[in-house]
Amino acid sequence: MIRLRGVSKAFGAVRALDGLDLDVREGEFFCLLGPSGAGKTTTLKTVAGLELPDAGTVELDGRDQRGVEPYDRGVAMCFESYALYPHKSVYDNLAFPLRSPRHRLPAARARERIGEVAELLGIAGLLDRSVGQLSNGQRQRVALGRVLVRPARAFLLDEPLSHLDAKLRQQMRAELKAIGSVRRTTTLYVTHDSVEALALGDRIGVIRDGRIVQTGTREEIWYRPHDTEVARAFGRPRINLLPGTVTPGGGFRSADGAVELDLRLRAEAAPGTGVLVGVRPRDLTLGTGPGHPLTGTVYVTEVLGRSVEVTVRLGEQQVALVVPRGEAAGLRPDDPVRLSVRPENLLLFEADRPERPGRRIGP
Amino acid sequence: MGWRPALRPYLLIVPALLLTCGILYPFGLGLYYTLFDFSASKPQPDLVRLENYTTVFTQEAFWNSAWVTVLYAVGAAAAETVLGVSVALLLHRSSVVGRVLEKILILPLMIAPVIAAIIWKLMLQPSVGVVNHLLRPFGLGGVQWTDTPTGALLSSIAVDVWVYTPFVAILALAGLRSLPTSPFEAAAVDGAGWWYTFRRLTLPMLWPYVLVAVIFRFMDSLKVFDIIYALTEGGPGDSTVVLQIRAYLEAIRFQRYSFGISYTIVLWAVVYLAAMVLVKHLGKIQRKAAEAK
Amino acid sequence: MTVRRRLVGWLADAALILYFVFALFPVAWMVILSLKPANQLFSTYFSFSPTLDGYRTVLGDSEGIPFVRFFVNSLVVSVGAVLLSLLVGLPAAYASARWRFKGSENLMFTLLSFRFAPELTVIIPLFVLYQKLGLFDTYVGMVWVLQLVTLPLIVWIMRSYFADLTPELEQAALLDGYSRKQAFVKVALPLVKPGVAAVSLLAFIFAWNNFVFPLILTSSEAQTVTVGALSFLGGDRPKYNLTAAAALVSVVPPLLLALTIQRYLVRGLSFGAVKS
Repeated sequence: MIRLRGVSKAFGAVRALDGLDLDVREGEFFCLLGPSGAGKTTTLKTVAGLELPDAGTVELDGRDQRGVEPYDRGVAMCFESYALYPHKSVYDNLAFPLRSPRHRLPAARARERIGEVAELLGIAGLLDRSVGQLSNGQRQRVALGRVLVRPARAFLLDEPLSHLDAKLRQQMRAELKAIGSVRRTTTLYVTHDSVEALALGDRIGVIRDGRIVQTGTREEIWYRPHDTEVARAFGRPRINLLPGTVTPGGGFRSADGAVELDLRLRAEAAPGTGVLVGVRPRDLTLGTGPGHPLTGTVYVTEVLGRSVEVTVRLGEQQVALVVPRGEAAGLRPDDPVRLSVRPENLLLFEADRPERPGRRIGP
Repeated sequence: MGWRPALRPYLLIVPALLLTCGILYPFGLGLYYTLFDFSASKPQPDLVRLENYTTVFTQEAFWNSAWVTVLYAVGAAAAETVLGVSVALLLHRSSVVGRVLEKILILPLMIAPVIAAIIWKLMLQPSVGVVNHLLRPFGLGGVQWTDTPTGALLSSIAVDVWVYTPFVAILALAGLRSLPTSPFEAAAVDGAGWWYTFRRLTLPMLWPYVLVAVIFRFMDSLKVFDIIYALTEGGPGDSTVVLQIRAYLEAIRFQRYSFGISYTIVLWAVVYLAAMVLVKHLGKIQRKAAEAK
Repeated sequence: MTVRRRLVGWLADAALILYFVFALFPVAWMVILSLKPANQLFSTYFSFSPTLDGYRTVLGDSEGIPFVRFFVNSLVVSVGAVLLSLLVGLPAAYASARWRFKGSENLMFTLLSFRFAPELTVIIPLFVLYQKLGLFDTYVGMVWVLQLVTLPLIVWIMRSYFADLTPELEQAALLDGYSRKQAFVKVALPLVKPGVAAVSLLAFIFAWNNFVFPLILTSSEAQTVTVGALSFLGGDRPKYNLTAAAALVSVVPPLLLALTIQRYLVRGLSFGAVKS
C-alpha cells in the first residue's frame, strides 16, 4: 500500500509536485497517467526515497517513510532509462540485487531464481551477454527482470514500455499483467500513453502540473472525466467538444446556432453560461436513431481498418465519428448526413479557461 | 534525521576543502607579506603598507618585464594557434602519413618544458650547436641565437611553440572530428570551394575548441618560467626577464621576499583579469556554436 | 583535377612531415648527443663512435650528481601527490557532480584558479614557511605543494566523468539494496575507472615534469630529475653528453605513460572542457 499526502517537491524554480495526494491499494495495479513534465517520475522517486519531498508524507504499508533510506524501503523500481549496469553481464545485472546485504541469497538459490525470472521474461538465452549487446526490447526485459528477481513491497515502473516499437509494446503489455508476482504485488506504473493506462490499470490516476486531477477505474475515467483535458486524454479519435451556451429553456445552442440540443439543464448551469458538450466518436451514430438528432455535411473520411473515421461539419465546428466500414461506404465529401446521439452519452463541461480546463458539470 | 541528506555532500568535499585551504594559506600569507619589507636581511620586517606595489609600478624594470611577458605570451599563443590548427587540419585529411604521425604528436608535450629548453639550448649553441651546423651550407652559420635580445626572445618563443603546438593541435583535432558532417556535404553539393568551406564552415564551428586551447596557452605563457629559466635565465641583459623570472630574481636570488611576492601578485591579477575576459568570451562563443548546431 | 588533387595531397603530406621533423629532430639529436664520447663532443656532429658511457656516468652517480636519487625522488613525490589528490579529490569531484551546492562551486572555481595562478605567488611564501616548519627539501613538503598541480586536474576531470554518468545507475543500486557508499564503490567507480586511470597518469606526468617547485623548495634530499638534469650544465666544462643522457632518462616515464592514455588526453588537457 502506497499513500502520499500533500507531497510537494521543487527543483530550483520548477515545481515538480504540488501537494500531490495518491493512494495505491494493496496488490493493486495503479497507472499514473500524465504528459511529460507532469511529475510522474518525481512521484515514483519520492516513493522510492530517491527524492526527498519538500513537504508532505509518504507512507508504505501504513508506515511513514520519513528518514527511511531507499535501500530500506523494500520497493523495486524499473527506470525509464532502464539504468542497467553497463559494466556487468545480463546475469550479473539480475544477480546484483541478490548479492546485496538486504536481499542476499546463497549463490545456488540466486542462480535458480535468476533462471526462473529469465525464463519468465524470455531472456534465458541472453544471460552471458553484456548489456551493450542487447536491443532495446531485451534491455527492457532485463530491467524488468531486475525488479522481479527479488521480493518487494511494491513495484515502481517508470514508462517501461515507452522505448519499444508498437508491436513489441503491445505484446509486452499483455505479458506484463500475466506475470504472477506483478498480479500480486502493489504496482505503481507510470505512463504517458492512455491506451496503456486503460489496458493495464486496475485504477488510473491522472496527474497534471504536479497534482492528481482524477483517480478512478477505467470506467470512471472514461464515463466521468473530471474535466475536458482528462476527456481529451483518453480515446482516439479524441472526444468531440462543441462550444456553445445554455439557452433560456435549459437547452444547448452552439455558438453559430448550427447545433441545438434539447438538454433540459436545470441545476448544472444557468441560462447564458458558456459550456462545452462532449461526445465520443464511437457514441455518434450515422442516420436517424434514438436520441438527439444532428445534421451536417461530410468533410472527410478516413479508413481505419474495419471501421471508418468520418469527419462531419456541423456549421462551423467539426465532429468525428467512428462507424463500421459498411455504413460509411457511400459517403462522399459534402454529402449531407444525419447523426444521432443518445442523451446518456453526452457530457457537459464548463467552457475552458486560460487558467484551467473546463470541469465536467453534467450529467 | 532531516539534516543528514543535506549534509552528505559537504562531508565529501571536506578533505578537498582542507587541502585547498592548505594551498590558500601560503597565498594569503604572501599577500600579507607584501605589506611589509620582509627580506633575508630584515627578518623583523616593518609595515610599509602599499609601498612595495608603488615601487613595482614606478620601476622601469617592471614595465620592461610586463612588456616582455606580453610579447612572449602573444607571440607564443598566436604561433601555436596557427601552427597547431594547421597541423590538425593536415592530420584530419587522414592520409597514411597522417595516421602514423598522429600517434607521436604528443611527444614534445610530454617532455618537461625545462628539459625541452635544455635540449634546445644545446642545439642552439652558436659555435658547436647542431642548428648552426645544419644552417652553415645556407650561409647562416653564425647566428647568435640566445645571445642577442631579439634572438633570445624569439628562441624562447620557439621552444614554447615546440612544446605546446601539439596541445593546440590535439584539441583542434578533437574539434574537427566532432564536427557534424551534414553542412559539409551540403556545401560540397552546392559546389563550394575549399577556401569558402574553410572560412564559412570549418573555422566558425571549430573556433570554440580552438579558443579553449588559446585561452590555456595564453594564460600559461603569461606565467612562463621553466623555459626561460633554463634557456636564457632572463638574458642577455634584461631582454627576456618575464614577470615570473623577475619575481624569482627578486625573491630568491636577492632574497627580497616581500618585494618579489608583490611582483607575483600583480601578475596574478593580470592573469585573473585575462581569464575573466577570455572565459566570458568563450562562453559567448560556445553558446553561439551550440545554437548554430 | 585528379592530378591537382594528388599534388595537393603530396604538398599536405610534405608540410606534415616538415612539422614532424621540427617536432622530432630535437629528441633524435638528444639521443645522438647522449651517445657521444666526451672527447668527440665538440669535434663531431653525425659521425662518431657511439658509447653508453654518458648513461653509465649519469646513472652511476659520478660527477657528484646523485641522479638516480633524483629519479627516485621524482617517482616518490609524483606518486605521493597523485595518491593524495585521488584520495581527497575523488569524493569532492563526485559530490560536486551529483549535487550543485554553493560550497562545491566555490571549491571548484578556487581549484580552477590554481591552474592559472603564477606558481611563485604560492611558492615564495612557502619557501619562507617551509623553512620555519622544517618542510624545506622534504617529500612531505613536495607532495603538499604539488597538490597545486594535481588536485585541480583530478577534481575537474573526474567531475566531468561523474557528470557524464547518469545518477540513475546509483539510484538503481540503492533500490537493489546497497548503501550509498556501496553504490559509489560498486557502480559509479568501476564505470569511471578508465577515467581515473587516465587522469592519474596525466597528473603524474605533470607532477613529474614540474620544475619550479623543486627548484625553490628542495636543495638535495628531495630534489627531482627536472632540476637534476639542469645541474649537468653547470660547472666549468659543459658536459653536453651527460646533460642529454640525463634529459632522456628523465623524459622516459612521462612519455611511456602518455602513449598509454592517448585516448583520454583531450579531456585531460582541456580540464574536461573538450570531450572526444
